[in-house]
Amino acid sequence: MPRAKAGEEASRKAVRYSAFYGGKVATMPKVPIRSLDDFSIWYTPGVAAVSKLIQRGVELSFEYTNRWNSIAIITDGSRVLGLGKIGPEAALPVMEGKSLIYKYLGGVDAYPLPIRVTDVEKFVDTVSSLEPALGGINLEDIESPKCFEILERLRGRMTIPVWHDDQQGTAGVILAAIYNSLELTERKIGETRITFLGSGAANIAAVRLLGEAGADPKKMIVVDSKGILHPGREDMDQLLLRNRWKYEVALETNGGRVTGGLEEALNGADVLVAAAAPGPRVVKKREIAGMAKRAIVFLLANPVPEMWPSEAIAAGAEIVATGRSDFPNQVNNSILFPGIFRGALDVRARTITDGMVIAAAREIARFAKDKGLSPRRIIPTMLDWEVYPRVAATVGVKAQEEGEARKRASKEELGRHAREIIGRSRKMHRVLVEKRIIPPPPPR
Amino acid sequence: MEEISVREARREDVEEAANLVVRMKRLNNEFDPLFTVVDDAPARARSYLSTSLESKSSLVLVAVKGKSVVGVLRAEVRERTFYKPTIGGNITDFYILPEHRRKALGNTMLERASKTLRKLGAQVVTAEFPARNEIAVKFYSKRRFRALTNIYAESTE
Repeated sequence: MPRAKAGEEASRKAVRYSAFYGGKVATMPKVPIRSLDDFSIWYTPGVAAVSKLIQRGVELSFEYTNRWNSIAIITDGSRVLGLGKIGPEAALPVMEGKSLIYKYLGGVDAYPLPIRVTDVEKFVDTVSSLEPALGGINLEDIESPKCFEILERLRGRMTIPVWHDDQQGTAGVILAAIYNSLELTERKIGETRITFLGSGAANIAAVRLLGEAGADPKKMIVVDSKGILHPGREDMDQLLLRNRWKYEVALETNGGRVTGGLEEALNGADVLVAAAAPGPRVVKKREIAGMAKRAIVFLLANPVPEMWPSEAIAAGAEIVATGRSDFPNQVNNSILFPGIFRGALDVRARTITDGMVIAAAREIARFAKDKGLSPRRIIPTMLDWEVYPRVAATVGVKAQEEGEARKRASKEELGRHAREIIGRSRKMHRVLVEKRIIPPPPPR
Repeated sequence: MEEISVREARREDVEEAANLVVRMKRLNNEFDPLFTVVDDAPARARSYLSTSLESKSSLVLVAVKGKSVVGVLRAEVRERTFYKPTIGGNITDFYILPEHRRKALGNTMLERASKTLRKLGAQVVTAEFPARNEIAVKFYSKRRFRALTNIYAESTE
């Protein structure tokens, strides 16, 4: 089926199936209910004894409730997928989808929670007030630069991990894909010239993370709608006041003080990371042709990449990745976030550091390498479910090394635990489907 | 790395220093619409600085790296008719290019300005900037300046 037609078909099914199933996720008891008497254990009066215990030591809430495995997926609906500011209710199907992936691939109970709060101060207050019930927060689809401030403030305020998937998740997966691309094209990260097209949450976070991972910021160039970012640009003071994260990137990158547009930024560049606007004509063949030999090109806009991968290859790119599953090399957060949170929850981490994300990216890259690298396979797919326990174990160990874990466990223990819990989650789902408790989708 | 030096401005600095003054005025616009910059601001800035260079009661300092002006500070000596001390030096414009901030250049320029203003008779140094410019508030507060005058505005249009 042609790609456009397949997309339309998926949209039609999404609407029909969502109505049929009444959404994608639900809560489910995980304790036996043998008779009505059991309710006196799980609920009143028995439950009061558990509450009293926790009252004496609130950390026990991680032991005696499902808090240890619970996160919330929180959005204000201000920048949802490629749809823009669609509001919290319209964002709910997307958050439900994310919740489903968290459960199925990471065994994490993730509550979709769009909130009707736009003010940053109130948003931070609202989210931080949820801490007693949760082991972590996944911020999602919040407009830039508001998302930077919210993440920064919540991380400073909460003692559970706060993760913004559009920043940290995307940056982490980009890094994983870059590790293997560099290996295939025999490059060293510190010597690689990387051009970023787009200065939204993903690329701003990627610049920072890649710098932490050893890339040289002076060899990075960021291009936005006004051209190449550099400290002499006229809008620098505006950025200082309106988007200080981008301002910092302008100061730290582009050591050669290159000016102009994408063509100038790509001249001799080794890597392009485009996370800009849906294509296909956002990046041109002649711009790719100006890159270094064995060029690496990531075209991450959805639903249509900044240029078609075939055109990028025709223009000289050796490795091409997109955000889509129907092309080779899908660079998508979903390969990272279930494992990251599985690992963070399993050691009861206080936060998710850049070091943990870099370790996760390395593990993802290693996994793909173990399975055999090629220009058409630089990163695992969502079907490679064994990658998630591996990422979880790596993240758990790194959290301990960095002093951010409340619980200690060996890598083997963490890997085993993650495999069990993810395996159980998948098995439960399989049984529900096989027993037709989850009915098959409706016929046409 | 080329050194940055701070000195009194010369006529040949006016063109580049005026660009920085215009940048500063545009930055002010971020704080309040009553600081909307006029279209011919560059020409006005050049004339403003040229006049200041000729005035004995004004001071224009520039920070120079190689042949480029990377910072500008303009101040003037004013009589304080009803108050003691009776002569003050007021910094009206102060701008450093983003790339050269956070390297103590602001401090160097401010100290140099204070010293020169004292020589011109000023017994107190003041600085004016938009009320909502928190960055400037922090900069001066850190250097023991305190808020002295409030100017409130209401547009009559």
